[in-house]
Amino acid sequence: MSKLLIDVGSTYFKVCEETNITQHFRDFKKDIYEDLLHKCGDVFSRYKKEDVFICSSANGGLSTLIIGLTNSFSLKFAKNIAFNSGINIIDTILYSKIEESKVPLELIDVVIVVGGIDGISGVFDEKLLTYLQKVQYSNIVYVGTVQDANYLSSHIKSLKVLGNIITGKLHVNELELKEYLTNLYQADIVGKEDIKHLYEFTSNQIYSTPYIVNRSLPLIDANFEVVNPFIVVDIGGATTDIHYSRDLVRDNILSDSEYDRLVFKKLGVYKSKETLVFAAKNNEFVYELLAYLNVTENILEEESEKALRVLMQLSIFLVLYKVSRLNPLYVTLHLELLKSIVLTGGITKVLSYAEVEAIITFFYKKVMNLHSLPTIVLDYDYAIWTLGMKNNEHKEPKCL
Amino acid sequence: MKKVVTGVVGNDIHVVANRLIDISLQARGFEVFNLGVNTSLEEFIDAVVETDADILLISSLNGEAEGWCRDLQFLRSEYDLKDVVFVIGGNLAVGEAKESDIIPKYKSYGFDLVFHQVDLNTGLDVLEKYMSELK
Amino acid sequence: MSLLQKERDIITRNEYVDAFDFDEIEAFIKNAPKELFISHHFKKRDRLLVQPRGGFPTYKKMFELYETFMSADIDVLPLTIDSNTRLNDYAMAKKMLTLSEENEMDMLNGYPLVNHGYRTTRKMVTHFNKPVSLRHGTPDARLLVETALASGIFEIEGGPITYMLPYSKNFPLDKAFLYWKYVDKVCAKYSTLNEPINRESFGPLTATLVPPCIVIVIQILEMLLSIEEGVKSFSVSFSQNGSMMQDIVTSNVLKKLSRYYADQFGGEDAILNLVYHQWMGAFPRNKELSDSLINTNTVIAAMVRADKIIIKTRDEAFGIPTMQCNAQSVANTKYTLRTLKGLPLIHDEEEEANLEAEVKAIMDAVLNDSADTLWRKVFNSIKSGVIDVPFSPHIINKNEVITIRDENGNIRIIEKGQLPLPDKCFAYEKSKVNLPASKTEVINKMIHDIGAML
Repeated sequence: MSKLLIDVGSTYFKVCEETNITQHFRDFKKDIYEDLLHKCGDVFSRYKKEDVFICSSANGGLSTLIIGLTNSFSLKFAKNIAFNSGINIIDTILYSKIEESKVPLELIDVVIVVGGIDGISGVFDEKLLTYLQKVQYSNIVYVGTVQDANYLSSHIKSLKVLGNIITGKLHVNELELKEYLTNLYQADIVGKEDIKHLYEFTSNQIYSTPYIVNRSLPLIDANFEVVNPFIVVDIGGATTDIHYSRDLVRDNILSDSEYDRLVFKKLGVYKSKETLVFAAKNNEFVYELLAYLNVTENILEEESEKALRVLMQLSIFLVLYKVSRLNPLYVTLHLELLKSIVLTGGITKVLSYAEVEAIITFFYKKVMNLHSLPTIVLDYDYAIWTLGMKNNEHKEPKCL
Repeated sequence: MKKVVTGVVGNDIHVVANRLIDISLQARGFEVFNLGVNTSLEEFIDAVVETDADILLISSLNGEAEGWCRDLQFLRSEYDLKDVVFVIGGNLAVGEAKESDIIPKYKSYGFDLVFHQVDLNTGLDVLEKYMSELK
Repeated sequence: MSLLQKERDIITRNEYVDAFDFDEIEAFIKNAPKELFISHHFKKRDRLLVQPRGGFPTYKKMFELYETFMSADIDVLPLTIDSNTRLNDYAMAKKMLTLSEENEMDMLNGYPLVNHGYRTTRKMVTHFNKPVSLRHGTPDARLLVETALASGIFEIEGGPITYMLPYSKNFPLDKAFLYWKYVDKVCAKYSTLNEPINRESFGPLTATLVPPCIVIVIQILEMLLSIEEGVKSFSVSFSQNGSMMQDIVTSNVLKKLSRYYADQFGGEDAILNLVYHQWMGAFPRNKELSDSLINTNTVIAAMVRADKIIIKTRDEAFGIPTMQCNAQSVANTKYTLRTLKGLPLIHDEEEEANLEAEVKAIMDAVLNDSADTLWRKVFNSIKSGVIDVPFSPHIINKNEVITIRDENGNIRIIEKGQLPLPDKCFAYEKSKVNLPASKTEVINKMIHDIGAML
């Protein structure tokens, strides 16, 4: 019996049947359920609920605030775990600076508090409690030294306490927190009014899209013309995800995954278009890049098919730039070692291979000073996503 | 049990010394957090904070620590680390240099104990004595 | 086109490389003289092959080195790769190569093979018509090995464990397994055309008090990983350990068990060879004493019935040896081997039984890991400390095993960490050592044991 696979994105629906994949632009006036029913109602009628599999990134994911003791351990480990659990929005606070730190205005889905190896105590004090009183959050989880758990539990309502993510050898222990965040993400998807209704189409668990992509990564090089080390760039309407092979970084984290994930929340081409344009205008290469593409900066203000293409090209460039050596603030990837760049998501439906190649050529020439490029693979028919979805049918692990 | 964070500035060739320091410290009853070779100053300091260590013992084998540890005072004040004993040992200068020049220089960077070309066990004896006198 | 071939196209397409002509390369390997294949020489089993180390940045100097070696009646030529190439930094290697060429100064510690390319290097290899062995230390050696094979270099040293644990702090080990799988696949593919390509593991590891059971387990595992991909000629290796008896015991058990496991895993038709490394620890700063140490090593290599010996020079304590010094060392070793006759066959049943039990216990633990592929079983075993290499800088290594020498110079395990040694074996190890009472003395003894040949 064939399966029906559906991905609900912030901009498109993807619908995959045995032989073909179709894609529908979202109608933002309708809610997801109605929109999907309107566009694909007849398709659903052909499948049983147990043969329908849905994943979604439409809700934008969870917003996270991490409060940690140091950059090299607490914050780095928690951030790594959060990204790999499919979380998109992450802000961090170094505990020693908590008194000067700004309080986020929006509601935070989950606050993560971490610091200290087991055996030490008194890491956290009233400063944390004072700060947390000002923060609006839905969940809070503690993954620091076990000795502070009682103190924090007695002062913080509904604090979830999990095993320390920092081991006695200062290595990362990711399992419990990853499982917790993944489940929270699932619960969040299910809890969203929009998504809730989707269970009328399926009797299977609805997963988050990054979770599905992550599942397929170790299988990619055996299924496509993709060679390690590679990156997968998923440029979406709201955020841009980049999944990268771990040998592109040197960061002393000993984790179970061969691939890590990073998200740029402000480089989407629709919902976060303004921040994308802003980032572009502040980049030293962009005017040269626009000239290279034979357009002027006015294109950034336009609403046209051509403008969309240019924006997408810009977002590819900016993502690569942000992980390159020129931008030490983010994770730095050794892009000179890169063998393949895989592009997936809506972008493959808009840009031609030549347009993608042009931008990557520009990047390698200008930023990397290299003339030979990694191979570029455009995942036109969402094969990576399909692979992850199909792979997911047999194995249903509790976490990523 | 006193806690020590240790590791090496510089690269892979110095693994043997690093591991011997680790074993020696354990044999002397310290709890050891070994960050290994090629460790950055920030990683050292952060490890001290995460483990609430009593001692930071940095080894530098080929004078690589010069210039590298000038930010130490700054980082030390970022966190409240005045009770932590900072120790550096190994071969602290490139080429020939007088011990009478090297020791004050490293002390001015913020180290409490400085061992230049001192044998491992002798250095650790001094460290133990220093720790017992602190009490 | 197969997926492997597509991958090879991508790997060999590089800024610093002229296009690979795979058809031409296949034709070259198919018609290459047997002399170039070390596996061809191994098959004859008529003598102990002598191989030095050596690599210079420029073609000219490399050629000169080979000429010098040829005058010493060398058996196997070395090609040692520079450290920039080992880290896949071809841009820096290129820059340093240019500087070396312009200034007649060696700005690299080896031959940047990728930058020279296979078309150039092949001229040199075929000119001398001797087997060449690739010595490097690269985690991702895919392009390097492609270039070597196309150049006529038909022995490839290294592996995902032995080139990672002694050299790297944080290169992800799972990736290293993947990249070495590629190397083995390509070697296997070319092995069907002519004589087989020989793969060699690097048994010395950190060369610092590594107990024989760990060396043997790692040798067997890298051999199995290669055989799994179709490699048909494989050399296991180890280095002088400090006790002649323990070297002989190691050799006997290594030979027996590598054959045993190869046969179990479908490698009945694979040729297995033994390589002995002269002392890999610190050398004395006295050149005459170094000569003496080298000579002792040569005797042991003959005693353990090695198929190849990798030699050192009297300049070892001072850095890269001169060509003449290196060639003299080859000549000395050849002389010793020529004059060394009537070697007794030695066995020590008790020691061998103990070592064999240790190796089998660790191998059982590795093979019983729940992972579905061999490489992941090995990966998990390293992570959990079932395999633990003393003095490894890698963050994945447990570093819990502690060893020391007994009064005969044998390396003994006094802390077993997570090694799954049978109680009887561990008790045997400990019974051989009289540990000094104070811990400081134990450390001093370890320091002394590491520098046993100073």
